[in-house]
Amino acid sequence: MYAHPSRRSLLRASTMAGAAAVLSGCVTAGGDDPAPQATGAVTDDNPLGVPDGADLEVVIFNGGYGEEYTRHAVTLYEERHPDATVTHEGLQKVGEVLQPRFVSGEPPDVVDNSGAGRLDIAALAAAGQLTDLADLLDAPSLDDPAVPVRDLLLPGVVEDGTLDGTVRYLNYSYVVWGLWYSRSLFDRHGWSVPATWDDMLALCEDIKGAGIAPWTWQGKYPEYMMDPLQSLAAKAGGIELVHAIDNLEPDAWRHEAVLAAADAIHRLAAGGHFLEGSEGLSHTEAQNAWCSGRAAFIPCGSWIEGEQQDVTPEGFDMAMAAVPALTAADALPNGAVQGASSESFLVPAQARNPRGGLEYLRCLFSGEVARGFAESAKAMPVVRGATDGLDLAPGLASVAAALETAGDDVFGYKYRTWYPELAVEVDTATGELLAGRADPEQWADRIQAAADAVAADDSIAKHER
Amino acid sequence: MRHGKYRFLIGALAPPLLLYGVFVVSPYAQAFYLALTDWDGLSAEARLVGLANFTDLWGDPLFLAALRNNAFLLLAVPTATIALALFFAACLTLGGRRRRGVRGSGLYRIVYFFPQLLSVAILGVLFQFVYTPGNGLLNGLLDAVGLDALQRSWLADPATALPAVTAVMVWSAVGFYVVLFTAAMESVPADIVEAAVLDGAGNLTVFRRITLPLVWDSVQVAYVYLGILALDGFALVQIMTVGPGGPDNATEVIGLTLYRAAFTYGEFGYASAMGVTLFFITLTLTALALRATKRERVELA
Amino acid sequence: MRTRIADGALHLVLAAWAALVTLPLAWAVVSSLKTDAEIFASPWSLPAEPQWDNWIRAWREAGIGRYLLNTLIVVGGALALVMLLGAVCAYCLARYDFPGNRLVYHLLVAGMLFPVFLALVPLFFVVDQLGMLGTYHGLILVYAAYALPFTVFFLHAFFRSLPAATAEAAFIDGCSHAGVFFRVMLPMARPGMVSVGIFNFLGLWNQYLLPLVLNPDPDRYVLAQGLAALAVSQGYRSDFSGLFAGLIIAILPVLLAYVLFQRQIRAGLTAGAVR
Repeated sequence: MYAHPSRRSLLRASTMAGAAAVLSGCVTAGGDDPAPQATGAVTDDNPLGVPDGADLEVVIFNGGYGEEYTRHAVTLYEERHPDATVTHEGLQKVGEVLQPRFVSGEPPDVVDNSGAGRLDIAALAAAGQLTDLADLLDAPSLDDPAVPVRDLLLPGVVEDGTLDGTVRYLNYSYVVWGLWYSRSLFDRHGWSVPATWDDMLALCEDIKGAGIAPWTWQGKYPEYMMDPLQSLAAKAGGIELVHAIDNLEPDAWRHEAVLAAADAIHRLAAGGHFLEGSEGLSHTEAQNAWCSGRAAFIPCGSWIEGEQQDVTPEGFDMAMAAVPALTAADALPNGAVQGASSESFLVPAQARNPRGGLEYLRCLFSGEVARGFAESAKAMPVVRGATDGLDLAPGLASVAAALETAGDDVFGYKYRTWYPELAVEVDTATGELLAGRADPEQWADRIQAAADAVAADDSIAKHER
Repeated sequence: MRHGKYRFLIGALAPPLLLYGVFVVSPYAQAFYLALTDWDGLSAEARLVGLANFTDLWGDPLFLAALRNNAFLLLAVPTATIALALFFAACLTLGGRRRRGVRGSGLYRIVYFFPQLLSVAILGVLFQFVYTPGNGLLNGLLDAVGLDALQRSWLADPATALPAVTAVMVWSAVGFYVVLFTAAMESVPADIVEAAVLDGAGNLTVFRRITLPLVWDSVQVAYVYLGILALDGFALVQIMTVGPGGPDNATEVIGLTLYRAAFTYGEFGYASAMGVTLFFITLTLTALALRATKRERVELA
Repeated sequence: MRTRIADGALHLVLAAWAALVTLPLAWAVVSSLKTDAEIFASPWSLPAEPQWDNWIRAWREAGIGRYLLNTLIVVGGALALVMLLGAVCAYCLARYDFPGNRLVYHLLVAGMLFPVFLALVPLFFVVDQLGMLGTYHGLILVYAAYALPFTVFFLHAFFRSLPAATAEAAFIDGCSHAGVFFRVMLPMARPGMVSVGIFNFLGLWNQYLLPLVLNPDPDRYVLAQGLAALAVSQGYRSDFSGLFAGLIIAILPVLLAYVLFQRQIRAGLTAGAVR
């Protein structure tokens, strides 16, 4: 092996003397002297052993869900630790602000690493920057000391946050993907939500007959249409197929269920079932076309209700339906939905007050904060039963119902977060498929080639599920 | 008489050079080093990987698509802009009575300059709406004049997406160069033009034989500026296009590939290698342009 | 007779481009006064009733007012800084002989040719390590640093062309070096300063990449970022009429300033470019 000179020494040599004093700061200085991390006495009131009077710094992504719920948890924390000074900061590009702080070994105590500018969480874990959250999961929950935090979480949440066998982060919001429609529109025309893809194609003809485009989609961002496609594939091919795709197995993308799903979506395009020009619409333009009744279905995640709330007409009554079954012999039951948790909360390993960070998360994952989240953010929290008895908006209520029906049959893909390079190629190919410039075979070949390239690239860290 | 010359010089030069050294020179210098590493922006140490980043670039379809598209922009934007600007400048100066400029040329010049005042982000947002399929200005315009057969999703079709971006660049740049060339043409002595006209020269001949050679210097300045503009294109593409960079990578530009590699994937070493490549491309093109300029000067002399 | 036809054709061509230039702007103005429903109904329809409310919403809720203020602070500060430093620097290099003069000049001017993208990644870390990410002064310093090469290049030529006699006379009268610069040479260089000032203003006003990378705090967004975020970002609520209104608000100040001072501005620009 060749020696690696530190960036510090090289940069000193390579920059002009006048600026050297300033520049020595621009190297990565982390690792040499971890901040002292205190632990306090563990008691029933303080199960995580938060040291007395230790301050806490919380940095969160202030996006679509707002910051009301994270502030709510601050209030709970302050009630329990009146001596601590808690600082809470909301950002929109978390990565750009926090990356250097991680590098220099001075991260905050809790981070909500979300949004478009988030840090690569797998890389953070690989660099040893994340605390193991096992202690938190085993700690008694705030609501009921007999129930540990682990048992409060919806299925998949702990798995979502597990990297190489260790729980590194916990997501807060549960997003479910499906097909959105207006209940009032469907009632007026006597349409019902199709159970299989054949029903869907038949219904599309009916809808067209009524002078409405059956579908529109957020063409500028093909990811939106990939969700129904990969949902169909998962339903037909089962969870093993999902894992094969995420594990970059050879020919996973050429599995017959994937090809059949691509063909099903391709038929929408070939049958002229999309609102004309959809492939050139931004997400807001497409969603507005749908809200104004020019198209019957639109694929989207459960955040759409919040995104559209100012322009949704009175009495529109939006609802989400699970993506129909692809065949009569699907591997997954009919109500299965694609779901994933998001809004990743983590505790940096080099935090000054990591025990406080865990304690903050214990407050955050309480029933009280979760109920507030459902109300203020109009989204599903990952805490069990948090929405019970709440008067939910129509869209969110339909999402909760869909989750109820699905039970444990909630599936999710990981390739998009694990291998963003692959996701870009998947989206490009899907755009071509929907524009009719590629057929399902070409689409699958192209993605398989990209997946094979990622699998063969040693410089990309691999994950396994 | 010149006491304290060096004290003055040091006091005067230190602040600008320090600023320049810290924010311009040092990042450029670091970029060359980073390009040889696999730094992910998170780990404390960057591992030297030699030229691996550069060899990877030539197998990266995204980067190659970006190179192709920037090359297209580099050919199309300066050529179209300069041709249009020369044409309009000639119309403004050579038309009218005794070829002293058409009436209202002042007003035209004011209006033509408008797009220059729009920042590139404004352009991107505005033209995203111009090109939008359903209720966009362009399709609406085609519909209004009975050419609705030409309507399409301009930014969603690989055949029209890059030309659509090119058109925005040209649209915004032409006005400035009209103003520039008009000023240059007006400095052409009137008696030369008049003498030529007396000799029976037509408009085209006057333009080709007299005006163009005399404004050739300005044209070359324009070419260099527009070339730098065409090697960028990041803002327009990022704001306007499908994907962005799509469809099918039809509008991917080097800036976007680099930005994504650095700030989305955290491949800071790889991104820096793209920057270094872009630098050598710019350097080569500038050297070529300078050589071409020299030859032109000789021919004109 | 022939000239009249030719002139008519000429006007037709010229007017066509003028229309092409103004149409998108006029369309944006009209759209900014429509309701969202009217915008979606037809690109050509006029608003049934002008919706001035869109402008108020864009200014207040969408934050265009704040973005405009941020832009003025950053562009104004950077412009003042780069004009001062650039003029001093160009003057010293143009009028003084000292070892390393040519080297410094070439090092500065080479900065014009380097693509900003090359510096982008390390620049982000430099600014961050100085604790200046997302601050006004950080952005002002970076803007000024990147406008410096052109400013020096331009003014260097200008200071060279100024007559030496006036400066010599001032020195004989006992003026200091700084005194000669500020009281004699700088006033003489006014036309050049105006030209390069306009170029720099347009260039800085145009910045998108630098703030995108160096200015992550939404409260400090400059106009370019703010508008792009409103138009592109997921999760923002749909408000097309408000976005058009925001566009117009962003365009108007510069357009007005241009129309008022267009003669001087065009003279300044062409004086610089056609030497």
